[in-house]
Amino acid sequence: MEAARIALTSRFGTKCMDSLPVYLEKGGYKTARRVLLEMTPAAVIEEVKKAWLRGRGGAGFPAGVKWGFVPKSSGKPKYLCVNADEGEPGTFKDRYILGLAPHLVLEGVLIASYALGVGDAFIYIRGEDVRVAQCLENAVSEALAGGYLGDNIFGKGFSLKVQVFRGAGAYICGEETALLESIEGKQGRPRLKPPFPVSMGLFGCPTVINNVETLCNIPLILENGAELFLKNGKPRDGGTRLFGVSGRVRRPGVYELPVGTLLRDIIFENAGGLGDGLTLKAVIPGGISSPILTPSEIDIPMDFDSLSRAGSMLGSAAIIVIDQKTPIFDVLRHVARFYAHESCGKCTPCRIGTAWIRKIVERLAAGNGEGRDLDEIMRLAENMRGKTLCPMGDAAALPIQALIRKFRAELDLSIGRIQGKGEAVC
Amino acid sequence: MLNIRIDGKGVTVAEGTTVLRAAEAAGIAIPHFCYHPAFPPEGSCRVCLVEIEGIPKLELACATEVRDGMKVSTQSSRVREARRDVLEFLLAEHPLDCPICDKAGECRLQDYFAEYGLFPGDFREAKEKRDKRIRIGGKLLLDRERCILCTRCVRFLDRIIGTSGLGVINRGNRCEIAAHESRPVDTIYAGNLAEICPVGAITDADFRFKTRVWFLESRESLCVSCSRGCNIWVDVHPGLSRAVRRKRVFRFRPRPNPDVNQYWMCDIGRAAYAAADEERHEAAFMPRSGRDLRLSWDKAFILISEKIKASRELGKTDRIAVVLNTGLTNEELFLCDRIFRRGLGLKNIFFADPPARKPDGFLFTGEMTANPRGAREVGFAPVPAGPEFLAAETELLLVFGTALAETAGKGSALEKAFSRIGTKVLFASRASSLDRLVDIVLPTAVSVEKNGSLTNINGRVQDLVKALEPVGECLAEWEILSRIGRELGLGGGIFEPPPALEKTRRAMNSDIPFFKVGG
Repeated sequence: MEAARIALTSRFGTKCMDSLPVYLEKGGYKTARRVLLEMTPAAVIEEVKKAWLRGRGGAGFPAGVKWGFVPKSSGKPKYLCVNADEGEPGTFKDRYILGLAPHLVLEGVLIASYALGVGDAFIYIRGEDVRVAQCLENAVSEALAGGYLGDNIFGKGFSLKVQVFRGAGAYICGEETALLESIEGKQGRPRLKPPFPVSMGLFGCPTVINNVETLCNIPLILENGAELFLKNGKPRDGGTRLFGVSGRVRRPGVYELPVGTLLRDIIFENAGGLGDGLTLKAVIPGGISSPILTPSEIDIPMDFDSLSRAGSMLGSAAIIVIDQKTPIFDVLRHVARFYAHESCGKCTPCRIGTAWIRKIVERLAAGNGEGRDLDEIMRLAENMRGKTLCPMGDAAALPIQALIRKFRAELDLSIGRIQGKGEAVC
Repeated sequence: MLNIRIDGKGVTVAEGTTVLRAAEAAGIAIPHFCYHPAFPPEGSCRVCLVEIEGIPKLELACATEVRDGMKVSTQSSRVREARRDVLEFLLAEHPLDCPICDKAGECRLQDYFAEYGLFPGDFREAKEKRDKRIRIGGKLLLDRERCILCTRCVRFLDRIIGTSGLGVINRGNRCEIAAHESRPVDTIYAGNLAEICPVGAITDADFRFKTRVWFLESRESLCVSCSRGCNIWVDVHPGLSRAVRRKRVFRFRPRPNPDVNQYWMCDIGRAAYAAADEERHEAAFMPRSGRDLRLSWDKAFILISEKIKASRELGKTDRIAVVLNTGLTNEELFLCDRIFRRGLGLKNIFFADPPARKPDGFLFTGEMTANPRGAREVGFAPVPAGPEFLAAETELLLVFGTALAETAGKGSALEKAFSRIGTKVLFASRASSLDRLVDIVLPTAVSVEKNGSLTNINGRVQDLVKALEPVGECLAEWEILSRIGRELGLGGGIFEPPPALEKTRRAMNSDIPFFKVGG
């Protein structure tokens, strides 16, 4: 595997990188200072556009294009919200960054806010990550004391306030409009779009919502130039990705690799392959909401477009490796339970669909079902797909459909066996 | 203006119109639960999805604004399937207790299933058990099993009333509507919650189980509980005779009018439906300590007019006193003016209305009658009837309405004053404490039983259309007044037989500039 020419994590090995003095010693905030003193906001946005930095939260929307949509003069304040909710099962890359290099996130926030004309930024962090939130709050106080946040940063007349906002632990709050509702003090439930947050977001004002990893790439792009950044990845999908590998591999963890690295290589080289006596059964390539891949499908470059062509998605680049001994029925049950638990309940198809599917799966697990119940699940998932208020309907329907389509024979067998024994396999 | 085609039908609408509204304009109904014209689109029920040419996904009719040249299909197989799927989802967890559901017959879920569903149920799992009888304030009951979580009730309190008394608790399939435990829904507009609930989740204890809605006929009328003049539907049970069932009117509902009451009415107005049937006078009578004596209208008219004539001939019309009220229609007040003020030149004309309350800044005006503005426009300066009118050497007292019982002193003072008066005649629709204090009680029609017009607080003149025939021998006041005027031989043409409201209205419209143009 070719090492990334520029890497977001290059300084992560340094001890105490989470403290401001160490971060500064390693060249931290240098790029931000140069950008604020030497570049115009428009030039920053242009550079990010050229870098083809695509959203690392899962949707893969080009960050520069999103920034370009912010109305120039709406007469209202603009906000930046950092999505650090990271609720997608299998995903742990943002937590890794926030814990090790919170100032890198803040530097990204500073540059982005400067480019967008934002005076208030919110970092929305999931409620369970108490330690990470504390670490981030310390970093914010340090940066404020050091003059990297607050009033008149670098004497440029630009001011920025950053608030760390802890959520209450809901998957749906990773959805950008639910996140905004949550910051506004309401229940985390997605809003109807349009209007989109860039024109009417937090408190009705233009708002950009970017993922943690996305923003950490901003200083990199401006330090090394868009061209080099783009070269690091693929055309129309620049840079590296932080792949979070979990499951039955020898070395689970976060790996920073160029966009487009082969999935097979990540599993068998970086993560050291499966453990002793284990063989590969399936891989979830981009968090639990991405449709599962079979071993014959893993020679695939890990970039947004390649995975989308293969009927799956890169999502948050969270790779979950499943071995032959893990029953797919258990995976199905886990996915069904997760989405039924996390559906916010606002719209009909997701509220009832996810609950209905879970009820069928639990019935199957109790030995009271048969193979044709899987057809019913397929039908219900289809009825949810593309018809819900927010992307969560698809996030639930697509992986469930893929599991049944690709592993029907095994599932039928499992269901038959459970029926015979009258108990669940797991 | 934008031109679009919906199901092949061309329609021209203003910019900013949603597909759903455009379809309505074209006469095409698109099913919807969460959408209500009073609120911005919510987009959560997902039953209004339609197909728009050139857009791969189905789009929400309630939230999508039309673009020029747009081609919409509300009947394609994809749309029909999507609707069916939403109905299937909603019915999966629905208790299907329609036979004992008060909303049956006017339930959107039921209606849409009949129109767009009719599929066999395929839900073989255990349904969620939820509370079915929660008091959420006022007379409202919440059934959480029937609830489809459209959140219309939540949004009504948030946006229209501003009290935010209801919310959604929990997540996913565990979502439920809930009120604050310590603070139930407390607004005089609570009845609207049962109204806008598209299913039987919120019902009104006052209406619940009293009848089945399919027996009811909705007839137009106006609310007369205050001077807002809310447009209403009077829901009448036409099928049963009064001998079998004394109740004809089962409820009042708001009839949308963007200029007056939008989609709403208050609970004071709603509760007034009972006045149409309860404690009604049905025949003229002379109260006596033993048995009431029946009296015919003809006899009553002669009696009254003879008394008046006698006073007039003796030049003692100051011994006649009339107590009117501002609940009378414009036409009735006009007749009062022509008879009592101009015709007889009476000085003792008083008004007795229920005491005013505090206006709430929304619909309820605080004026407890429908037509104080009308009375002013006709030329009266309604002075409340204080005890002073009783002190006069009155020989004949004509009282319209029963508010006097509430306003003119306590019972015994009123009784004492009344005892000095020679002849006291009461025109009233309902029984009251005044009945025992007068010599003659004459039964009048209630608002839903008469024609006429009312002027609301903003000066808007609205037609009151008879929704029901008066009970028994009841007569509308305009008819009574026309007869009295005729017996007295008053001129002006309006008292020529037969009594007709139209004549009065024409005279009023030509005599009083306020009522002239368009009324």
